[in-house]
Amino acid sequence: MLNTPPCVGSCSEFPRLPRAGRRGADASTVCAPAAAPLGAEKAVTCLLSLGWLVPLLALLGYVGHVFLGQRAKQWSALFGIVALALGFALSVGMLAQTIGGASIDVSVPWLSMGGINVPMGFSIGPLQAVMLTMVTFVSCFIEIYSMGYMKGDIRYNRFFANVTLFVAGMLTAVVANNFILFFAAWEIMGLCSYLLIGHWFEDPANGRAATKAFLVTRIGDVGLLLGIWWCFTLTHTFQFAALPGDLAALHLPAATLNAIALLIFLGAVGKSAQVPLQIWLPDAMAGPTPISALIHAATMVAAGVYLVARTYPIFQMAPSALFWVGLVGAVSAFIPATIACVQTDIKKVLAYSTISQLGYMMLGLGVGAMEAGIFHLLTHAFFKALLFLAAGSVIHAAGTQNMHEMGGLWKKQRWTAATFIIGSLALAAIPPMSGFFSKDAILAAAYVSPDPVFYWLGTVAAGLTAYYMTRVVLMTFFGSPRSEHVYEHAHESPAVMVVPLVVLAVPAAALGLAAGFLRHLLAPGYIKPDVGLIEFVPLLFAIAGFLWAYALYTAPLARRAALLRSPLIAAPYTLFKQLWFFDHAGSVVTYVLGLGPSFVIGAFDRYVVDGLVNACGSLCLWLGRMCRRLSVGNAQAYMLTIAVAVVIGLVALQFQAMGG
Amino acid sequence: MNWPMVAFVVLGGITVYSGWRVATAPLVTHAALFLAVTFAGVGGLFFLLQADFLAAVQLLLYAGAVMTVVIFAIMLSEMKDIEEPRPRGWLGALRSPSLGALPFIGAVLLFAVMLVVYLRGAPALPVTPLPAPTNSTVFIAGALFKIYALPFEVASVLLLAAMIGAIILTRVEGGRRR
Amino acid sequence: MIAVQGVPLVDFLLLGALLFCVGLFAALRRSNAIMILMGIEVMLNAVNINLVAFSRYLPRGGDRGQAFAVFVLAVAAAEAAVGLAMVIIVSRRRGTIEIEEISDMRG
Repeated sequence: MLNTPPCVGSCSEFPRLPRAGRRGADASTVCAPAAAPLGAEKAVTCLLSLGWLVPLLALLGYVGHVFLGQRAKQWSALFGIVALALGFALSVGMLAQTIGGASIDVSVPWLSMGGINVPMGFSIGPLQAVMLTMVTFVSCFIEIYSMGYMKGDIRYNRFFANVTLFVAGMLTAVVANNFILFFAAWEIMGLCSYLLIGHWFEDPANGRAATKAFLVTRIGDVGLLLGIWWCFTLTHTFQFAALPGDLAALHLPAATLNAIALLIFLGAVGKSAQVPLQIWLPDAMAGPTPISALIHAATMVAAGVYLVARTYPIFQMAPSALFWVGLVGAVSAFIPATIACVQTDIKKVLAYSTISQLGYMMLGLGVGAMEAGIFHLLTHAFFKALLFLAAGSVIHAAGTQNMHEMGGLWKKQRWTAATFIIGSLALAAIPPMSGFFSKDAILAAAYVSPDPVFYWLGTVAAGLTAYYMTRVVLMTFFGSPRSEHVYEHAHESPAVMVVPLVVLAVPAAALGLAAGFLRHLLAPGYIKPDVGLIEFVPLLFAIAGFLWAYALYTAPLARRAALLRSPLIAAPYTLFKQLWFFDHAGSVVTYVLGLGPSFVIGAFDRYVVDGLVNACGSLCLWLGRMCRRLSVGNAQAYMLTIAVAVVIGLVALQFQAMGG
Repeated sequence: MNWPMVAFVVLGGITVYSGWRVATAPLVTHAALFLAVTFAGVGGLFFLLQADFLAAVQLLLYAGAVMTVVIFAIMLSEMKDIEEPRPRGWLGALRSPSLGALPFIGAVLLFAVMLVVYLRGAPALPVTPLPAPTNSTVFIAGALFKIYALPFEVASVLLLAAMIGAIILTRVEGGRRR
Repeated sequence: MIAVQGVPLVDFLLLGALLFCVGLFAALRRSNAIMILMGIEVMLNAVNINLVAFSRYLPRGGDRGQAFAVFVLAVAAAEAAVGLAMVIIVSRRRGTIEIEEISDMRG
């Protein structure tokens, strides 16, 4: 059924048209031949109608892992890699078609009960095509890298199987055209993140981190589910394409729309690790490093931002919800950036920087610059994957994640260091790296928004970003080796790990060139606000951050220690080091909100519910004791009983016949 | 002379008598032989009823196959006392070792009830049979392969399951012959 | 040609009933598992007499009675095979097939 979608009439491709013509091709899921009046389109085989194939390929890769993986030994990784590479090729083709202005939205009937009709389907537009291309590209190289990183792991095949399923979940979420399929894929990602963070479950701490990630994101999922349910009760549809229009047609009070949007946003907050649900992401570093790269770049956290972008029309109807998106984004950009400045674990620094960058994306969405947020999502996916993989290469070589034991690794790991520095420059938004263009677009939009505090939080965070990335680079690759053992042990990683680094470094550095192109693709009518020289303020902050970090971390250790003794530095240092007490606050909230009701419910369960159950059990036990006397164990006695019963039955029938 | 009635009484008498001996013969092997006679008697009754196919099957399957299985079972089960203690007196045969007179009372009661039921219903029952089918095999095959095709297949599955079950049950563990 | 002109249906039914009760008596009286199975075979045969008689006498019986007789036969054969196999394995395990001694499944 699905492989022959009604392509004709719902999907079209046509040669490049003047911009005026393409502006009609809205980036939303409404699928109509945009320039039909011009008569310029020609009906060709629509590659977009194969959009469902991209997640399916990944799923097939997963099936391959499950059934053939054990036999294929270390080559089992190829199932996922080949599937994702094919998916990437397909995505690129679809991207090319969406550039032409095509989009598709196909549904087949799936669940039909009474008046409720829930179709299943997929839609491909510019946003989806861009996301698919990015996800397949990044995750494919993450898998290639993992072949080297996970070599010899006892659960090698399971790792690849879970990664592939994870990506399949993300791809499904991207192409889903309704909330039901989206939510299912969303939960698959939740499951896979749990499995992969706890990949090395021999250490109970890893298992706890996995559980924490699962449970914290669950809080957001409950919100999302409530939002979906609310939307459905109001409009009787789960379709992304139809929802905003249906909601608008109802003329709901602003409070209802805000509540719906905020519930959906709560799901995104959990998945994208925004304040205050960010506490799971740093703990997720317990997983193998490629998983950190995957979660932080291509899949898990991107899904939250994507969700907001996908349901953006709903948010646009709810301005105060949009304000909250921006506020959460700005705060999430700032607070984790401060924490990242004092971390000593190289992966933790990157983890907090991810939260911070996701904050930027949310900030962008919150101030109405959807395309800027998505653009930052793309650039971030490339450079953060690059950074994590490079960090993984360092960890692989050094055997430790503690930056205090590293130093001077530049001499041992030229390729890793070079690519890591490229990623750092991109993250710190130094031109001409990609990060500069995307972050710049977000901050420019924030500057012209009515809430300048967003802009200033983002700008300060940009300075902090430059500070902590400089610190990481200096502590890891430069200076004198702090640990002789680590330094002696260090070596450049094998080619299978280095090549993905180099490949990922290219878009990390150069994707900024595509800024204008992507803007036209994703938001044809959008014009980046012209803020003049203000555009370079974040860059100044970044340079300041760089200089400060350079000054501090090339200075002798004693001077830094002296700085810490001054209360002006020590107080924030403690605050940052204690993660702004978010984990403590989380514990308190859990105790107050969780244990109190749990105690009451527990008592009810133990005495009332269990009491009833036990009473039933006792009754059955007593009846059984009575009845077992009848079982004498002699087969002939049973037979005799049957015979007597037949006699009685016949007599009764006879009397009945006489009576009747 | 009503020859069919004579044949019916003779065959029925043989059948019921040998059935009775199955219940009361002291020697297990004797009981088995009387069982064969019972089967044969029932087969004869089928002939009398012009159900040729069933009669043939009855003789082949019961008097042949089932009897063989029974005799094999008797031989394989290594009965220590193949002969029961001789009952004292004529009435002694009616008593069961475990349940006393109850089996006899139960059987007689059942027969009495059925007798009453049948005799009460007898006036409504036909006295003369319908014209016999010319070929009872074709007659039965028509029913089996048309109306009862599904039950027929189910029966075949049942027989297969029974065969496999019997093999599995009696298999010597470890594949080792004693 | 053998025929049953002159024998009313009720005679066959009574014979079936009598044979059934004899079989039941055998199944109840005997203490030996093989003998009990034999009694059950007799009971099944008694039922078959009824079925075949119905098929010959009742206008609506037709071929159905005989078809059912075939099914009864099949079930009886299956029962004999499995039942006797169980008897054999019980005798192998316990050295006896006295039904009173095989009463572990009492309550």
